[in-house]
Amino acid sequence: MNSLILLLILMFGGALFAFILNKFVPALRDIFVVLLMLGVSYLFFSTGISNRLNFDVLGIHMQWGFTSASYLFGIIVVVLGSLALIYSTAYMKGKDRLGYFYMNFLFSIGAMLGILMSRDLISLFFFWEIMTWSSYFIVIYSGNDVDRRGLKYMIFSAIGAYSMLMAIVIVNSFIGSFLLEDVFASIFAIGSGYQIAIAILLMIGFGVKSAMMPLHVWAPRAYSESPMSYTAVFSGALSKMGVFGFALVLFNLVSTQNWLINEVVAWLAAITSVLATFYAVIQSDAKKLLAYSSIAQIGYIIIGLASNTYLGVMAGLFLAVLHAVFKSTLFMAVGAVERQVGTTDMTKISGLIRRMPWTFVATLISIIALAGLPPLGGFVGKWMLYEALITSGHYYLVIMVFLSSTAAFLYSYRILFGMFLGQEEPEFAHVKEAPLSMLIPMLILSGISVLSGSHPGFILEPIQSAMASFGFQSNLPHESWWELTVLFNTWGDKVALVNVLTSIVGVFLIALAFITIKGYKNQRYVTTKDISSSGEIIQPEDNMTFQIDFYKPFERAIWPLLKRKIDDYYTDFGKGLEALFDFVRRFYNGNGQFYAIYVMAFLALLLIAGTKYFGF
Amino acid sequence: MVISPVQYIAIPLIAAFLIPLFGKLNKELVRIIPGLVLLYLSYISVVLMNQVISQNTMIVEIIAGWRPPWGINLVFSPFSGFLASLFSMLGFIIWMYTYNFKREVEDAQTEKFYVLMMMLITGTIGIVLTGDIFNMFVFLEITAISAYSLTAFYRERDGAEAAFKYLLVGSFASFFILLAIVLLYSQVGTLNMADIAQKMPDVNPYMKGVILMLFFVGFGIEAEMFPLNGWAPDVYTQAPGPIGAIFAGMVVKAGIYGLVRVIFTLFDVHEIFPLLMIMGVITMAVSEVIALRQGKLKRMLAYSSIGQMGLVLVAFGIGTHEAVFAAIFLMFNHAVIKSLLFLSGTYLVYHSKEKNISDLDGIGKSLPFTSFLFALGSLAIVGLPPFAGFWSKLYILMAAADVRLIAVIAIILAVSVVEIVYYFRVLHRIYFRERISTIEIKIPSFNAKISMLILAIVIIVIGVYPDLISGLIERAATDLLDKQHYIQSVLSVGLH
Repeated sequence: MNSLILLLILMFGGALFAFILNKFVPALRDIFVVLLMLGVSYLFFSTGISNRLNFDVLGIHMQWGFTSASYLFGIIVVVLGSLALIYSTAYMKGKDRLGYFYMNFLFSIGAMLGILMSRDLISLFFFWEIMTWSSYFIVIYSGNDVDRRGLKYMIFSAIGAYSMLMAIVIVNSFIGSFLLEDVFASIFAIGSGYQIAIAILLMIGFGVKSAMMPLHVWAPRAYSESPMSYTAVFSGALSKMGVFGFALVLFNLVSTQNWLINEVVAWLAAITSVLATFYAVIQSDAKKLLAYSSIAQIGYIIIGLASNTYLGVMAGLFLAVLHAVFKSTLFMAVGAVERQVGTTDMTKISGLIRRMPWTFVATLISIIALAGLPPLGGFVGKWMLYEALITSGHYYLVIMVFLSSTAAFLYSYRILFGMFLGQEEPEFAHVKEAPLSMLIPMLILSGISVLSGSHPGFILEPIQSAMASFGFQSNLPHESWWELTVLFNTWGDKVALVNVLTSIVGVFLIALAFITIKGYKNQRYVTTKDISSSGEIIQPEDNMTFQIDFYKPFERAIWPLLKRKIDDYYTDFGKGLEALFDFVRRFYNGNGQFYAIYVMAFLALLLIAGTKYFGF
Repeated sequence: MVISPVQYIAIPLIAAFLIPLFGKLNKELVRIIPGLVLLYLSYISVVLMNQVISQNTMIVEIIAGWRPPWGINLVFSPFSGFLASLFSMLGFIIWMYTYNFKREVEDAQTEKFYVLMMMLITGTIGIVLTGDIFNMFVFLEITAISAYSLTAFYRERDGAEAAFKYLLVGSFASFFILLAIVLLYSQVGTLNMADIAQKMPDVNPYMKGVILMLFFVGFGIEAEMFPLNGWAPDVYTQAPGPIGAIFAGMVVKAGIYGLVRVIFTLFDVHEIFPLLMIMGVITMAVSEVIALRQGKLKRMLAYSSIGQMGLVLVAFGIGTHEAVFAAIFLMFNHAVIKSLLFLSGTYLVYHSKEKNISDLDGIGKSLPFTSFLFALGSLAIVGLPPFAGFWSKLYILMAAADVRLIAVIAIILAVSVVEIVYYFRVLHRIYFRERISTIEIKIPSFNAKISMLILAIVIIVIGVYPDLISGLIERAATDLLDKQHYIQSVLSVGLH
């Protein structure tokens, strides 16, 4: 059997089996899902990209197979999927409806692999929708406020998916084929109005999943209220499906004459990243903060893709991979805190550093990667992005990105300080470090973050081949341009930076360990004498850590921007529609005589109109 | 016994009248006999469909030795045969569901129920199989009368009111169709549909238009076209659950068959297609929008059913081969999926007096199996992959795109979003609310579970592997569009 089919059968069959297994032998469920996912990962890595599968369904020609581009995203999916499932076994322990949870979890991972292996638009859409509803079922898993939160996700996803479907059928009506290669080959032969419409409709679909403004309103609560083990995949991998789609559209379906589309997309993404960062800064719940931060980070990625320069696209894809790594680590860390402490409200928690040191280490590394500080990968990605934007003359975009990534420092610090630093509270004295099966995935991912800084080449190399398969040819002088670990100095010498960078990272890690251990031993308690208390008598156990209204001045400064949320407009629109629907409903007033009148009136109308319009 | 299409009509009709007699012998026979009959009909469906498809013909059955155009004849073509087979098999599955349904009602009522149900199924199968326009009217009346009675089956005030509305509007349908037939006969002098189709070009265009409009309105009432469908929501709400499934799965489909047979085969008026499409769009948009505002489960399902019928009309109205294929595919999918929704929904609100959606709060814990199937049906009806509804919707959109009806595509998709909203609201209630209502819960009997499970399996199998059935539908679409072949096949029977 073709390994692609085997992959899907294993995923979907395994998902159903996990559901059934949970009914009868719940003890084996966790082992089963982890082994299944590891098996699928193995199969995925052994499949490679040369495998192609052609078949017809209902007379529609379809093709499956990975390209280097989709393989890159596939690696994200299987790695994150496996780690998140391992994490999940401990995180979800003791909750109910686990069969339901794992079934949809595996469904959505299977659907993502399906999307990536689709070489035609119909299977792409097919798996896209499976991904939508399975992730939707996990979004509503917690069960609170499903009517608003869940429906919002589903409505936006449906609008996105249906605009995609509209574009797909229109493309087919012109080209007569759904195959991506046919579509890419002949898209520019059709009228330019339709061309733009198709690109925009497709990007609405992908924009919803990647939570681009103004289609993002579902995301904050969907990310923050799903179980964290799934949010790690949701924000890390599932939103990358939108990025993947953007890449497909921007590189292949938008001709160079329509450069305005690129500009608009880049600007929307820039606005997304700035506003979402602002929102993230004023959150006091760690989960919501990360949710907004995810939205903002995907903004950078899309700016990179839309910049339409080689370096910019490379930066976008690099940030995409990196975001998957560090953001899922952060969601996992917050999940660990949630599980061990019971809340993620940063106004309540403080001083967990001694209770959960390993979680802190994972968080710290990921925060450094997120904030774009050297020596971790975030710095590499941001640097590339700045350079690409400056060399292509997008100075205003640079300002936006700079604004947003500076503001990102604020929330980065907030999350570190809010949860781990500050004075220890006696009520958290019982808190223990998260179990090993939660720590290991986080630490593995943190390790990847560290490597991304010292050896970005191991990510950039697959990205370069991915770009080639997206149709983005290198026009740059160096053959191995991704090899950032080599420095050409002014005298033309080649200096291998590997040693330099590894030693920097090494020093960094030693310093980190040193500071951590030292801080662990000599924690200094702030005595009451250090604090101005305006005459109030402060007991030694009172927590004086500054937590509530952490960034109040900043919040005040940006308030005009955030006053009227776009969400409110959607709500008003929805209410208006419902009122309209109620009006339409009055047509059926329950009176049989009226119904008889409708019949007679309709016939009369037809007969009158018929003589006029139908020519008889 | 030689298998022939006549048995589709004769056997259930005879069985319907013999059921009371068998009831005298043994009470259980009343419930068993319909099942045996429907099982036999399913069997002959398989045999005849196989024959029609493999030999690439249509079976024309002459009744009483009078060959067409003089006598009445039955036409088992790929299209009508497909629908007849669908009705028999669906009928069997619904019978399986009814076998232990409402055991507590008195025996006389049970007898009536099965007599009427057999007549209803006979009527619908007769409508699709007959080759004679007046005969079709007769079957339509059989269907209508048994449907009126079944609507008022529980002998309550609301049921009687619904049945009365149905009767009121249905009698308009009968009247218009009969009038159309009379006028048509005065023009062409024949009642055989193939013969009418052959002689149609000679008819005075004004007369043709009037007749067509009468047919359009008459069958439009049966096909639940806006604004002629005022009766439908009440009827679906008041009729017993499985009968609701029969209405959605068969009776409406028979109405649509009548409409498209008249439009595609009998008449040669192309101007009617845009009208059909526009009426379909309006029907779909209006009823899906209204479904969103319903508080009662069965009413919601009823409006959703009307909406889907609107979509079928849109597809027929586009009129290309691809669109007709999509329409027939959607008819099949809708028959299966909406039956599943009605059957499982009936148990969800079994003891509830008001049948309110709010009575469903938290029922997923008490009725896991039924709720699960209802959820599956909901996902399928809104057209999410990997379920059956997806492919038919996709094909309709493709067909619309091919003739550049971009606005129609946009409306269909917008309406689909509305559909998602109201179905998912129900699912939220089923699974994510706490149960507060004290209404007693009825666990489905084993046979009901099996029948629902069969429908669910069909939905998934067709969704994953649509080519299982697409061959049959393809032939059905070709058959409907190939008018000359129909005329020749019918009129050449018995010549040799």
